[in-house]
Amino acid sequence: MTTTCRWEAAESPSAAPGTPPPPAPERGTGATGRSRRRRGWALLIFAAIVVSAVAAGIGREQVIKSEGAGSLFDFFAAAASPRLDADFLALTGTAMLTTLAYAVLGTALSLVIGLIGGILTSQAWWESGVRTRRGRRLAGWGLARAVLVVPRGIHEVVWGLFFLVVFGIDPIVAVLAIGIPFGAVTAKVFSELLDETGRRPYTALVAAGSSKWSAMLYGLLPPALPDLISYGFYRFECAIRSAAILGLVGAGGLGFQLALSFQTLRYPEIWTLLFALILLSVAADYWSSLVRSARARGRQRSRDGGGVRRDPLLTASLVFGAVLIGLSSWWIGLDIAVLWSGKAWEFGIQLLSDAWPPSVGDTGFGGLLMLAGVTLAMSIVAITIAFALGAVFAVPASTPAQGRDHIERGAMARIGRTTAMLASRFVLVVLRAIPPPVWALLLLFVMYPGILPGAIALAIYTTGVLGRLMAESVDNLDARPLRAIRSTGASASKVFCYGVIPAAAPRFVAYGLYRWEVTIRETVVVGVVGAGGLGLLLQHQISAFNYAGALTTLAMLILLTLVVDITSAAIRRSVR
Amino acid sequence: MPRVPLRLIALTAIGMLLAACGQSPGDPRGSAGSDGEKVLTIGAIPDQDPQVLQRQFSTLSAYLGDKLGVEVKYLPVTDYTASVTAFQRGDLQLVFFGGLTGVQARTQVPGAIPLAQRDIDADFSSVFIANTKAGIEPFDSLDGLRKLAGNSFTFGSDTSTSGRLMPQHFLSEAGMSIDDFSGDPGYSGSHDKTAKLVEAGTYQTGALNSSVWDELVDADKIDTSTVREVFRTPPYHDYHWVARPDIDEQLGDGMTDKIKEALLGLDGSDATEKKILDMFQAGSFIDTAPGNYAQIEQVAQRLGLLN
Repeated sequence: MTTTCRWEAAESPSAAPGTPPPPAPERGTGATGRSRRRRGWALLIFAAIVVSAVAAGIGREQVIKSEGAGSLFDFFAAAASPRLDADFLALTGTAMLTTLAYAVLGTALSLVIGLIGGILTSQAWWESGVRTRRGRRLAGWGLARAVLVVPRGIHEVVWGLFFLVVFGIDPIVAVLAIGIPFGAVTAKVFSELLDETGRRPYTALVAAGSSKWSAMLYGLLPPALPDLISYGFYRFECAIRSAAILGLVGAGGLGFQLALSFQTLRYPEIWTLLFALILLSVAADYWSSLVRSARARGRQRSRDGGGVRRDPLLTASLVFGAVLIGLSSWWIGLDIAVLWSGKAWEFGIQLLSDAWPPSVGDTGFGGLLMLAGVTLAMSIVAITIAFALGAVFAVPASTPAQGRDHIERGAMARIGRTTAMLASRFVLVVLRAIPPPVWALLLLFVMYPGILPGAIALAIYTTGVLGRLMAESVDNLDARPLRAIRSTGASASKVFCYGVIPAAAPRFVAYGLYRWEVTIRETVVVGVVGAGGLGLLLQHQISAFNYAGALTTLAMLILLTLVVDITSAAIRRSVR
Repeated sequence: MPRVPLRLIALTAIGMLLAACGQSPGDPRGSAGSDGEKVLTIGAIPDQDPQVLQRQFSTLSAYLGDKLGVEVKYLPVTDYTASVTAFQRGDLQLVFFGGLTGVQARTQVPGAIPLAQRDIDADFSSVFIANTKAGIEPFDSLDGLRKLAGNSFTFGSDTSTSGRLMPQHFLSEAGMSIDDFSGDPGYSGSHDKTAKLVEAGTYQTGALNSSVWDELVDADKIDTSTVREVFRTPPYHDYHWVARPDIDEQLGDGMTDKIKEALLGLDGSDATEKKILDMFQAGSFIDTAPGNYAQIEQVAQRLGLLN
């Protein structure tokens, strides 16, 4: 299993830049077996994409129409004239702060969950017990990992509705709705970070008789902590976008205002709110990349023999983060006492007893499988498009100064390169700032209802996220081999083909697979496209208060997430 | 190393403790009332021009607070399901619900009372619209709905009374099943979206709230050469104020009646009252009774929307 971790750790943007990857351990079958397996996967993936595309109607029926192009144009034309009167700007400003507060607190909670969950799902934790037997260790590790799939398979909006039933209209709802699913993702990434960290201090402490927790606390955590923190900053930007969707469940903030303006299609208002969201995203992105590049420099220094020094920027960011947590709790009036209020427990238990036993409803189990197929097809088409587009954007969006300055030379080329970088980064930020339901409606203006508009809506949004992650991994490429290729007199395009692509491809694949899993749960929010699927079913069940049916649908979505999780782990193994 | 995290944790804790003091501007529960003071929490989710109401609610809560002698807090909610849930939990005590959501709320809170409706709600209707390319001529009798068969069709939000429930009811009255449309019916999410999607030809036909439609046409926000009204449904009751049964218990005997009086007393005689009525697009509020929603309840029951 150690091998899985290397690739999953690649999901964390903090994965050591410039560190040559540890040699891939040979699996028994040897090189030919591996390439055969790889070919098998390639065929399977190709077949899955073709089947999904056909299911989505590509090549079977007319999918695009020109009639609604005017409406689509109207939306983007409104970007030039957002609503900017004082009243609306004040409202937007307040909403921005509320969204920021939810994102800060949600991220903080997800880091706490990620830290604890990451330890409990790390192999280090389960393998160190001297007395426990192997079978039990594996069972424990497997169980902890399986438990973490549940929160990841459920969309934040669904979590939001669940907590709304339990806690009512309360600021804790949005904090939990962001913190829990994000915490599960963070736990997954963090457990892999922990398993990557040198385990000797930890085993030494355990062998010396210290308890597992304190060995963990003093032996394994300190070296891994900075990476976790910089990963946390990255999650922060995701949390802002997430908080902006959560307004739909009464949490207030940009999402709430966006929902209001979107309901009545007031484009100028939508754009003002979107610009606010973009502003927040860019600021969070900038902050996180500052911290990460400072980390990278620090690592470089310590590798060069400068010793580990405390990074002032990281410390300052942490203090600032702590202050933000305080301010955010004040802004939204967070009171965690509600967690143990009798009323909340009463409603929580009531909800669970309403939902139990889960019912299959009138779709029947076969119908449910059909809908799961639609969801799967939608996610596959979405991730295929997003992967291709993301890769196209990633190269121009990467930082020219860091990884690839040895390719371009000359002042003009440099200016051109910087412009291209800023432009493609801006495009990516806009793509991911516009929530998927908005994309879905826009696409419906020019497409017939079905799987395809839903898939493309998710693809466009995911391109924004994936492009950013991929650009980062290009930034983080080891510059030395590229320089070596360059020094042989190779042209820029050759450096790109033989240096950049092979080195970046496995990480691109890892990111692509990770977002595929996310796309499954995102299908819940694009019900508007009329494609059916589990998302629309869930939406109907929730609005009919059919909790028993909703539980079955959720179980199906979680199962799908699990299947995707296992499949992507297998694909990653074969890519190596 | 361990000293830094410790200091940070202390700092965070102090920050969160300080947070407990003072008013929180972003609190979704609204500004907290001073201790011991009685508070009535209200909400409203009309799906027509919601942003006007949700963003200017202070006028309404000030008016009611003045008439009732208790503090009135308005909690903005956009989501139908969320508002029913909040009502069921008691977080919202008085809500302006849609026809269906009102029935759902009364199913979940037995004894909840329909207090008042707008003058226009007693005579509400939906319109069926069609893209002109579908070639459907306007018709006057309910049976004409069968002409829609074979076309694609979209509802609005799936718990909207005028955008989903009643259109589906009238379709089945006309002997149409949703399976008679080409493809699955869509759920556009709102009345404006239904109109826009039929205009764009994404769906050939659709149904929405007639007053939203009229406004779109009057304001020239829709191209009537590509989408037109083909049928206006018979009238039914829609939006209404629903009060929780425990309001009297919590805020004093007779409070429910006082609320009703305050609502019915709105006649637009001064600027505030006029502003409130405009916000609701109403001429006045009138009395209502549970019986007005019996039909909605039946249809909802049949469609499995009451659980």
